[in-house]
Amino acid sequence: MDLLLQVLINGILQGGLYAIVALGLALVWGVLNIVNLSHGAFIMLGAYISWYSFHWLGVDPFLGLPITAVLMFLVGYAIQRGILNLIVRSPMFNTLLITFGLEVVLTYLAQLVFSADFRTINPSYSGRNMTVLGITIPLVRLAACVMAIVLTLIMWYFLLHTRLGRAIRATAQNLSAARLYGVEPRHLYAVTFGLGLALAGAAGGLYGTVSQINPYIGATLTAKSFAIAIIGGLDTPLGVIAGGLILGLIESLTTLYIGPTFADVASFGVLVLVLIIRPTGLLGRTA
Amino acid sequence: MKALRIILILIVLAALALLPEYGSDTVIQFGISTLLLAVLAQGWNIIGGYTGYPSFGNSVFYGLGAYGVGIAMVQWQLPFAVGMIFGVVLAVVFAFLLGVPVLRLKGHYFAIATLALGQIMAAIVSNVPLAGQNIGLVLPPLNDDRLFYELSLILLVAATLTVWWLTRSRFGFGLIAIRENEEGAVVMGVDTTRYKVLAFALAGIFSALAGGIHAYWITFLDPESAFDLTLNVKMIIMVVFGGPGTVLGPIVGSFILSAISELLSSEVTSIAGLFFGIVIVVAVVLMPRGLADVIRRFHRLGWHYFIDNIRTNRI
Repeated sequence: MDLLLQVLINGILQGGLYAIVALGLALVWGVLNIVNLSHGAFIMLGAYISWYSFHWLGVDPFLGLPITAVLMFLVGYAIQRGILNLIVRSPMFNTLLITFGLEVVLTYLAQLVFSADFRTINPSYSGRNMTVLGITIPLVRLAACVMAIVLTLIMWYFLLHTRLGRAIRATAQNLSAARLYGVEPRHLYAVTFGLGLALAGAAGGLYGTVSQINPYIGATLTAKSFAIAIIGGLDTPLGVIAGGLILGLIESLTTLYIGPTFADVASFGVLVLVLIIRPTGLLGRTA
Repeated sequence: MKALRIILILIVLAALALLPEYGSDTVIQFGISTLLLAVLAQGWNIIGGYTGYPSFGNSVFYGLGAYGVGIAMVQWQLPFAVGMIFGVVLAVVFAFLLGVPVLRLKGHYFAIATLALGQIMAAIVSNVPLAGQNIGLVLPPLNDDRLFYELSLILLVAATLTVWWLTRSRFGFGLIAIRENEEGAVVMGVDTTRYKVLAFALAGIFSALAGGIHAYWITFLDPESAFDLTLNVKMIIMVVFGGPGTVLGPIVGSFILSAISELLSSEVTSIAGLFFGIVIVVAVVLMPRGLADVIRRFHRLGWHYFIDNIRTNRI
């Protein structure tokens, strides 16, 4: 019983982190209809920015999240304005291709600049645990999970209740009508992609505190983000939290009852099942 | 004009078939991998280019073909040809079982469902003892690059003839109708589910055969490389670069891109990879409809062609 409870807690902690891993992807997909295959690679970049600010400048990884996010926002704004805006209206799989091209560029650049070594961000408190009712909770994982959920909620509030958030949602619904109301789509697209990458950057910083980083972590993170975004639905950040928690729980339960090598079968199996049964996500509106 | 084109194709084909006579070992090996990539591209062209379903699951067919040969030859000591048939059977069964539910999805959702299928297959195979689990299978070596080269060439010719047949058959017109307007195709009396599943299976057969040849050629097989997603992306890039929905576009695309990446990888590999990524990004921006479209329209528009593309596709 204790073991099951421990596994459930682990799943939830992992799931909270998964939510922010997928949030930027879901935002960019839901608003811009760009399926960003390079999302995981940008998370990797965020993790490295966080690693360097911790090891070179001594910035605490949690306090340094805003720096990472702002830098990544600028990167995202520039990429959307300079490259992606040029192909918005070309055939659908061209956006898949171009973001895959970006993924390749980023991965090889990272390999050249950062080398292929594994790195970890380990502040002095990284080994500490908290014990509640016989269940061990690693503090860093708890902090990462809470931070992820807080950021997701901030995003949700931003999209629903701010002027810019409403403009972004309006553009998602009807580009030409939004233009008539004085929204400048080129700028707004760039802001949205920038926000997506800011979230990817924050996700990378948090990911770096609980896992090892190397230039190749991107592909798996992209695949997981797809699973989370689809299971939860693209309409609301709350769906992404749910998707993250579901994936975290599925993975830890499969690992406990069937074996660690089946965790991926289970999570992607659920993804395919959800797609087939309910393509708009478990919490998404029906098509 | 038409006769000229056929003669030209026959000359190129003869030159390709005779390549082992005058090419060095390195050239022949480069030839095998390029021809197999071209077969995969041509297979993807059927489902992605003609039917308009951007499949990220074609590498599953490739992996099943490779494992068909691997299991038959290593575990059951059967000849290569039986392994090829076994691989094709696996691919067709897969296409029919998963094609029906997955081909109901559209656009990005279809792409991601097929992408997940590859991950699932890799994870399943790495748990199956018959397939050698994570360790993989080591096939009996056969040092006959010439044979592998000619087999790959024959397979590419077969795939290309099939695609050429598509452009003039009722079946092929049905697929194009689905790509252009699926609801319209239903109204016109096209049995879209049957057409889509058949196209998926047809693409799968060629990909599986390519996987089988590749497995026997490199004599080693493991889940990670057999179900590699990058391979799937490569086929898409080659088709889109050359021209999706054309007979020769995918071949031209894979020959050019293979040559570029081969030339570059003789330098530092990470710089080669970097450059490959940049080529993809630039090609998608400047020629989003592939080389075939450049050839069709460049002589009329000149360099304005590229600027025109950006003008029509940007916001």
